[in-house]
Amino acid sequence: MIPNLFGITLITFILFNILVSDPATRFAGKYATAERVETIRAELGLDRSLPEQYLFYLKQIVTLDFGRSWATKQKITTMINDGFSATLCLTIPPFIASIIFSLGLAMFASYHRGSFFDKGVVVVCLALMSISSLVYILFLQNVLAFQWGLFPVSGWDPSWAGRWEYLVLPWIILFVLLLGTDILVYRSVILDEAYQDYVRTARAKGVSNWAVYTKHILKNALIPVITMVVIGMPFLITGSFLIESFFGIPGLGGMMLKALNESDFPVIKAMTVIISIAYMFFNLLADIVYSLVDPRIRLS
Amino acid sequence: MRMMCSKVHRILQRMMVTKGLALSIAASLVVFSLTSGCTKKVDDTDTTINIPLRANVKGLDPMHANDMYSSMVIQNIYEGLLEYHYLKRPYELKPALAEAMPTISADGLTYTFKIRKGVLFHDNPAFPDGKGREVTAEDFIYSWKRLADPRNASEGFWIFDGKIKGLNEWADAIKNKTGNFEDPIEGLQALDKYTLVIKLTQPYYQLQYVLAMPFAVVVPKEAVEKYGGEFINNPVGTGPFMLEKSSDWVRNSKITLKRNPNWRGETYPTEGEPGDKEAGLLEDAGKPLEIAEKLVFIELTEDQPRWQNFMKGNLEWVEIPNDNFDAAVKDDKLVPELAAKGMKLQVSNAIEVVYNAFNMRDPLLGKNKDLRRAFSLAMNIPLRIQRFYNGRAIPAQGPIPPGLDGYDPNFKNPWVQFDREKAKEYLAKAGFPEGKGLPEFTFETLADSKSRQITEFEVQNWAAIGIKVKISTNTWPQFQEKIKNGQAQLFGLAWGADYPDAQNFLQLFYSKNVSPGPNDSGYQNPEYDKLYEAALKLPPGKERTELYKKMRDILVEDMPWMFSLHRLNYRLTQGWLRNFKYNEMTYNIYKYVRVDPKKRAELKPKL
Repeated sequence: MIPNLFGITLITFILFNILVSDPATRFAGKYATAERVETIRAELGLDRSLPEQYLFYLKQIVTLDFGRSWATKQKITTMINDGFSATLCLTIPPFIASIIFSLGLAMFASYHRGSFFDKGVVVVCLALMSISSLVYILFLQNVLAFQWGLFPVSGWDPSWAGRWEYLVLPWIILFVLLLGTDILVYRSVILDEAYQDYVRTARAKGVSNWAVYTKHILKNALIPVITMVVIGMPFLITGSFLIESFFGIPGLGGMMLKALNESDFPVIKAMTVIISIAYMFFNLLADIVYSLVDPRIRLS
Repeated sequence: MRMMCSKVHRILQRMMVTKGLALSIAASLVVFSLTSGCTKKVDDTDTTINIPLRANVKGLDPMHANDMYSSMVIQNIYEGLLEYHYLKRPYELKPALAEAMPTISADGLTYTFKIRKGVLFHDNPAFPDGKGREVTAEDFIYSWKRLADPRNASEGFWIFDGKIKGLNEWADAIKNKTGNFEDPIEGLQALDKYTLVIKLTQPYYQLQYVLAMPFAVVVPKEAVEKYGGEFINNPVGTGPFMLEKSSDWVRNSKITLKRNPNWRGETYPTEGEPGDKEAGLLEDAGKPLEIAEKLVFIELTEDQPRWQNFMKGNLEWVEIPNDNFDAAVKDDKLVPELAAKGMKLQVSNAIEVVYNAFNMRDPLLGKNKDLRRAFSLAMNIPLRIQRFYNGRAIPAQGPIPPGLDGYDPNFKNPWVQFDREKAKEYLAKAGFPEGKGLPEFTFETLADSKSRQITEFEVQNWAAIGIKVKISTNTWPQFQEKIKNGQAQLFGLAWGADYPDAQNFLQLFYSKNVSPGPNDSGYQNPEYDKLYEAALKLPPGKERTELYKKMRDILVEDMPWMFSLHRLNYRLTQGWLRNFKYNEMTYNIYKYVRVDPKKRAELKPKL
């Protein structure tokens, strides 16, 4: 894990220094003078040699103190804490709901494979996937919130009691966005399993269809499902930038995108490290779950 | 038998699933409509003003007030010596924390200000007993030193850079570690507790304007020392509004300012411009200002939710987004459906110029005036205004926008009048008939969809006479970098006034301001420079305006820019908003504005 992290930080550092040359000119403002630019370069630590800057970066990771944003001068750790809470509340519920619902519906559809219902599910999912997220947001915000008044148009309440009313419509949109892909992938995974020999054997032994699906197929289908879930984990942290900006939810997605647009390197560095650590953690978790689900897999 | 059971089982399962689904959807809709969607009763005593912000506030430290949105909040918390008159146009200054306008010496180099007595900083734990103390002349010196201190890298130092006696030397001493912050500066002296004297190195007729900018407001030393780097989140000013506790600022969402109970007070202006009285803007003339209980800034970066929140009465005013313009305004008047809801339309002209710049260092573009003229004549500005600005702009004839000295509404720049045939003529004169032999140019633009669409339109205009232009899209930092490094061949930008003096626009062509300064086209002309330097030494008046016009003529002739347009801002206000007149130069208008809470309680539920 540590070598991975080292590699990621090195790549981020190199890429930023190659692709984005001098931020000091920009931060000096529209009335910059050559002298001011030099002062700012020193303030930002850019007058040090590249290896020195990289070592400083590593120190920041170890102490989890990423300093202040170049663009806003806010403490990055505070920015991340503030954004984390909002983003996780936004992304986790629809993510989990989509997994459970999609898995259930995929099982049901493959149970009735070839039927009108199954074909209908495939068509609807393809349609859902073809529509851009922006269209969902614009349409559902306009109809459900603005015209019908079922939800607030936008807003955020940082208190634990107050935030839920602002999250319901974003949850619905995220859920719908995730459904299409999830159902189709899970359905194909389950169908793959359904044609395996052990299923035929189980049926021949007289196991009921219901038990075949829940006790046999589901367990085997879980491995690719877990893999897909783990791959989707970074989404939980980066959130959905569009949803955050349309609904006024102050999450990490917006923060990350603004940092990229403004070449705010300290924030980009911090977010890269956090997402990498999270991703590695979830991979590890996935490995543990694999071993629980499939007795053939042993953790080494 | 078993088959029958399994079939029945299947049917039952299906029925249960469908029933379950239907029930849960119905239940959810009921729950949601009960909890969130209902019309809440509107409090008819609530004086809160809700304002939209189109981008996120970065921080509330005045020395970093470099972006518009942070400045919008800062100028309601902090005050400076001078401010703009709320209603008068052309824009005029008046005293704020100064007792009166300054006395100026005959040579124009010494300004003496008397500070108002009894002005208090906001109550804050930074002060002993938490009580805000009185503002003195020393506080202004302290605040301005912060701008000059190189360790702060303030984006606002330019307002005093090189202009105040001893200030640059003081800053250099700090940089070289040979001096201290507390060292005195010859050009900034407090003669007594309430008298401040500024001594200049040369005449600086824009000084009073910069003193009205957010950079120049007064801050208390105690708060800066107590909060250090967190002063950006713990503002302590003297203004009519204050950030009572830090949790009132929900980052990237909302800032709630509360009324400052210790504010010095002011009366509503008694004069304005023609039309103000008819618009009801002088109803409160002479009355003491009633400050709203709360001033809430709501950050919404997207047009749709901003517009929808306004339509639901959650915002007191909104700029009309392009997509909603035709539904809101017809023949330059508000549509009857919105007027019936009590809404009003307000139009103001932005003190700015939108332009396309030539890189004058480019060996081809910089040397070939006829080629530049061909570019400019080929551009159909009226169509561009129609298509991309809903007609809400005036074609620009030069760099000086309407409302400023030096702007002449009757002046017509011959090179911006769309004429394709003439453009082809000049292209041939430039040595490239029908574009033969002309290399492909690159136009740098931003990556957002509106910028790209406008650029594509422009490229088509040029292609129609044979000039080939390639579009290069950039993020803002990349864009700035290319411009500052002189790598952008052609680019489009806008310049908004820092203060209402044409010098702020004319300085963009002064040779000493080339990159990293604001002269982005890299234009250098000694004749222009002479006129510019001469104008700097003159007070506002006929003589100076003549010089401004001469400079404009040189720029029209040399054409380092293709002047495009000056935008008009169309805003809608709610029927319950009183005294609202948008001021393009300042954001500290919310002490004058008030909400009629009974009217809001009456009109809002009907929206």
